[in-house]
Amino acid sequence: MGSAYLINLAFNGVILGLIVALAALSITLVFGIARFPNAATGDVATVGAFAGLAVTATGGGTAAILGFGVLTAAGLSLLFYLILFRGLADKPPVASLIASIGLAFFVRAVLTFFVGHNQQVYPLPIVRAVPFGPLRVQPTDLQVIAVAVLALAAVFALLHLTAIGRRMRAVADNPDLARASGIAATRVLVVMWLCAGALAGVSGTLLGIKTVVSPEMGWDLLMPAFAATILGTIGNPVGAVLGGLLIGLAQELSTPIVGFTYKIGVGFLVLLLMLLVRPQGLFAGNALVR
Amino acid sequence: MYRAIRTAALASLLTSVAAVAVTVPAAAADKTFSVGALNPVSGAGGTYGTGMQKAIILAAEEINAAGGACGTRIAVVAEDTQTSPEAAVLAAKKLVEVNKVQVVMGTWSSGVTLAVMPITTAAGVPLMNTSGAPAISTEDKEDLVWRFQATNGRFGQAFSEIAALRGFQRPATMAYNNASGLGNTEGFEQAWTARGGRLVSKVVYEPKQASYRSELQQILAANPDVVVMGSYLPDTTIILREWFQSGENPDLKWIIPGWAANEKLVEALGPEVTAGIIAVDSISNENAPSYARFGEAYARATGEPAGANVYAAMTYDMMILWGLAMQASCPDLAPRAINARLRAVDDPTGEAVYGFAEGKAALEAGKTINYEGASSQLALDEYGDVTPDFSLSVITDGKIVRERVVSLGVK
Repeated sequence: MGSAYLINLAFNGVILGLIVALAALSITLVFGIARFPNAATGDVATVGAFAGLAVTATGGGTAAILGFGVLTAAGLSLLFYLILFRGLADKPPVASLIASIGLAFFVRAVLTFFVGHNQQVYPLPIVRAVPFGPLRVQPTDLQVIAVAVLALAAVFALLHLTAIGRRMRAVADNPDLARASGIAATRVLVVMWLCAGALAGVSGTLLGIKTVVSPEMGWDLLMPAFAATILGTIGNPVGAVLGGLLIGLAQELSTPIVGFTYKIGVGFLVLLLMLLVRPQGLFAGNALVR
Repeated sequence: MYRAIRTAALASLLTSVAAVAVTVPAAAADKTFSVGALNPVSGAGGTYGTGMQKAIILAAEEINAAGGACGTRIAVVAEDTQTSPEAAVLAAKKLVEVNKVQVVMGTWSSGVTLAVMPITTAAGVPLMNTSGAPAISTEDKEDLVWRFQATNGRFGQAFSEIAALRGFQRPATMAYNNASGLGNTEGFEQAWTARGGRLVSKVVYEPKQASYRSELQQILAANPDVVVMGSYLPDTTIILREWFQSGENPDLKWIIPGWAANEKLVEALGPEVTAGIIAVDSISNENAPSYARFGEAYARATGEPAGANVYAAMTYDMMILWGLAMQASCPDLAPRAINARLRAVDDPTGEAVYGFAEGKAALEAGKTINYEGASSQLALDEYGDVTPDFSLSVITDGKIVRERVVSLGVK
């Protein structure tokens, strides 16, 4: 077991972690501002992946897949806000949570009805890996890294460099105070849901590029994404990203010791230990989207 | 999806017909023996269930046309499992308690078979199935359950046979972490080490991962010449793509069960990645006269070739074998007595027979017989599981080309 082996494992962990981190960031944005854990995140990601598949029928490449997937997911996310979550905003958060679970099942059932259970793949060329020293890097992995980093950078730029981002953080920090200062909650929420949907869409299409597209893919992504969200303190965007990376790395790097069947358990063990030692998550203190 | 709906509609139509006992015309006999045909006419198994039921009736007609078994004609009572354990349990209770059937045949999915087993066994009624789960063998404490489909372990033995045929020296295994995946690779390991071979590496992986690179890395590091898989389609797609992308061990060969190495896999990965993959599937007893006779009757009754439904040949064999066992057990026609004679009419030292009339004549002449079925040579083992043939196909230019048939030796 040389260092090359471990470096490759760590690299795999980073790729895995980035995809989880994107979904976790989507969950944490919704939680920070709309104040409920959105269980439909995974299925919005699935719809994004299938929208990407629709583009490939007309000859679209990676950029078209990502673009259309992200737009569709963002649009769907906004639609859900307008027809469902807006009406539930005054109710206790559990109402929105239950509604999002129902929505998740509904989306999957509709999708399954039209596309069936069979797997589909993006018809992208299969390209050989390039060795970087001990590391074998596949071109798709570079794409995953580039797209994920760009998406994360865009979200953080939006949050910290724009006026609407400042308002979002204000609402996340103290909704009453934000309203008292004249911040229009609806505009903030519209931007937030678009953002959350787009992130889910990026996560879904990247997962589709790396694996296969199936109606269950997003739901399967939800559990690790929730774990990453909690690990990095619910509502904290930086925490969600680092939480995702940490879980990915812990899973892959533990395999020489615990083997492959228990690596998923290791991800959750990290979460469990952290909750015992520091129940508020890694990045509490300066909580939420601020 | 549309097909599923259509099948379900068709199935509900059929079940309303099937709920009435199907009477098979009697020949010379006046006594009757009730057989329960419990098949997946609707639900996920709907594609096969109707044909399976038809095959049981065809076999019963063949027995009755030959004067019945032990002077007794067969009456088939048909029921639908809906491919659901709950519905199957209700149907089995009805068959056993209301219709008083003395044998139940033709359950399809493992979940259904495992749910029905306790009911039939408690009533002392044998159950014949086409399921794959290893647990069926171990749960069958009274030797009342018979399996006409290849177990996952048998697939593993076929993999070992094929690896030896191809002269591989350094196999590694990768298994999806469930009973079926592990059954395949453990069956392979057992048979391979029994030949004096050894594995260079093995990995059991979790389903639904975004990547299997770490798993592959461990396998490839051991430099195997073939990887034997116990896998399903989605994970196989991801693993093969990642292997090809890695560029490592480009000459590596793969032995993959037929349900994962199929047209969908080629469609997903293209001809270059899938070139040379060895696909293994269990097949009917294609060269036997029993298969020819069954195929002709089946095509006449359903308008479809027998090759379109491998399970129909299995249920046909259930009825014929049971009829022969009745004949051998004559005059004692208690279910347990007949059950105890099933291996006796499938005796490897006996005279090979390919149909009911032929077998009945041989039994009446005082001979020991070996029924060679339409689905397989049968050769029921100590668990009551059959030993079918397998096809070895190689994916060439994006086509799945059958190369040969592999028969496992009978112990």
